[in-house]
Amino acid sequence: MMSPEDAARKPLPTPDADTVAFWRGLQDGKLLLQHCRRCGHVQYYQQTTCRNCGNDELEHRPASGRGKVHSFSVVHRAPGPAFKADVPYAVLLVELTEGPRMISTFIGGRPEDVTFDMDVELTFDKVSEDFTLPRFKKA
Amino acid sequence: MTAASLRGKVAVIGIGMSAVGKVPGRSPLSLAAEAARNALADAGVAKSEVDGVLSSHAFASPFHRFSVAFSEYFGIRPTFSNTLQVSGATAATMFSIGAAAIHGGLAKMVLLVAADNLMTGLTPDLALRSLTESRDQQYEMPFGIPVANTFAMTAHRHMKEFGTTPQQLAEVAVVHRRHASRTPGAQQTTPITVDDVLNSPMVTTPYHKLDCSLISDGGAAFLLTSADYAEGFGIQKPVYILGCGECYTHEHIFLMPSLTATGAVESGRRAYAMAGYGPAEMHVAGIYDCFTGTVIMMLEDLGFCRKGEGGPFVADGQTTYGGTIPSNTHGGLLSFAHPGMPGSLFHFHEVIAQLRGECRGRQVQNARLGLVHSLGAGFATNATTVLGTKDTL
Repeated sequence: MMSPEDAARKPLPTPDADTVAFWRGLQDGKLLLQHCRRCGHVQYYQQTTCRNCGNDELEHRPASGRGKVHSFSVVHRAPGPAFKADVPYAVLLVELTEGPRMISTFIGGRPEDVTFDMDVELTFDKVSEDFTLPRFKKA
Repeated sequence: MTAASLRGKVAVIGIGMSAVGKVPGRSPLSLAAEAARNALADAGVAKSEVDGVLSSHAFASPFHRFSVAFSEYFGIRPTFSNTLQVSGATAATMFSIGAAAIHGGLAKMVLLVAADNLMTGLTPDLALRSLTESRDQQYEMPFGIPVANTFAMTAHRHMKEFGTTPQQLAEVAVVHRRHASRTPGAQQTTPITVDDVLNSPMVTTPYHKLDCSLISDGGAAFLLTSADYAEGFGIQKPVYILGCGECYTHEHIFLMPSLTATGAVESGRRAYAMAGYGPAEMHVAGIYDCFTGTVIMMLEDLGFCRKGEGGPFVADGQTTYGGTIPSNTHGGLLSFAHPGMPGSLFHFHEVIAQLRGECRGRQVQNARLGLVHSLGAGFATNATTVLGTKDTL
C-alpha cells in the first residue's frame, strides 16, 4: 500500500533491461521504434523479440513523429493527488504513421480541441533531470 | 479429453454474501469469512467438507496469498487452493477453474470466496491510486491514465464508429438503478434519470460520475461440487455450470486489436459452444458493468444484439423485465456494489438466485438459463460462464 506522500508525487518510469535504450533515446530527442529485420513488423512496446514472427533481429529507428488520434478521453477527475493540478487534460491513443499505437497526452492546446483522427506531432517534454516523456501537439 | 466434457459436471450448491456497501470496521478476511459461512449454511455443508479454496486478491488486505490466509482464518486445511489474478475477469475464472479441479479429481468441494473493502479500507485517493497502479508503470502511469480512462477511450471510439450517444450510455445507469431499487442491501437505490447522469460531474470523457461503478465493501462465496456429489447431498436447487470460455487479447490498451470488438466475442463463443445454447436462449444475464459503455459493448460482443446497436438496444428497454435479456437485475457494479475484484461475484450470486427462483419482487419468470460475463483491465481479460437449472442439462 502507498503512503499519502508517495501518492502526491507524479510517477516516473523505472526503466528495465528492455527499455533502457528507449528512455535514453527520448532524452536525445528520439522516439525509438523497434523494426524487425525479418518480417518488417514495427513495434512501440520495447521487448527482445518481434511480437509478430518471434525472432530477435530488431533494430531501433527513430519515429517520424507523425500520427493520428485513434481515440481520446479528457480527464476531469485526476487519478490521485499527483495529477489534480493538471485537469482537464486529454489522454490520447495515438496511431503513429509507422503503425503502432501509443498512449500519451495532448499539449500546446485546449483539450476540447482534440478530435478523432486529428493529425498530431510528437514533442519531447523533459519532466525531470533523467526523464523525457513523449507528448503530442496538433500537427 | 476435450473441454466440452466439463458441461454439466459441476454444480453450484451454496451461495452467500457478506454485508455489502459501506461496511466499516471489517477486514477483507472478515467479510470473506462471513460470505463463506453463509454459502456453507445455504448448502447445509460443514466447513470440514471443504477441500478446495479459490480466491482473488484484495487491495485492502496485506495477504498476497488471500486463499491461504483465508483458510487459516476460517479454520480449514484445503488440499487445493489458489489466489487468481486476471482482474475483473477473475470471478468467472474461479468458476471454470474450480469446476475443472473438481472434474479432474483435484478436489471434491471447492469454496470460491473473495471480499474487499475499497470503500472504508482505503482512503478515496488511495483507492483510486490502487486502481491506477494496475496500469503499466512505464508506458501509461507517467501520463496520468486511470483505469476509467482506458475504458472511456473504448466507449468514445464506439460513439465515433457507431453513433452511440451519451444519452444511451446514461440509460444503462438508469436501468441499473431501477433494478437496484428492488434489491435488498443494494448500495444505491434512489431512482435517477438520464439528465441526472448527464448533469453529474465529468470524470473522463465520455463518462460522468453516474456512468461509473461504485466503490464498495463486501464479498461473496460459492460452493461447488460434482453433479453426482450434489445429488448425494440432496441439494434442492443445484445450478449447473454448462459452459465456460475465456479470451485474453492484450495487456496494454495500445495493443488492443480493436477498441470496439473485444475478447468477449471469443470467450462467449466458447462458453456457448460448450453449453450447447446460444444468446437467444438465455433468460437472464449478469454483464460486467464497470462503466455504462462497457455493458453496451458486451451486449453486442456476446450476441444479444448486432454490433453497433447496443445503445438503441438498452434505450429500447431490452435489458430489463419484458425485454430480450434482463441483465444485472440486482443493480450491478453501477448500483448494487463494487468492491473491486469480488464485484463480478455478485453477478453470479444474482444469476444463480434467479435460476433458483429466489428473487421475489425482481424474479425473472421461468429463468432456467443464465450467462455471466466478467472482464477487466480495459477489456484485456474476458471470461464467460453459462449456467442452467437441472432441466437444461
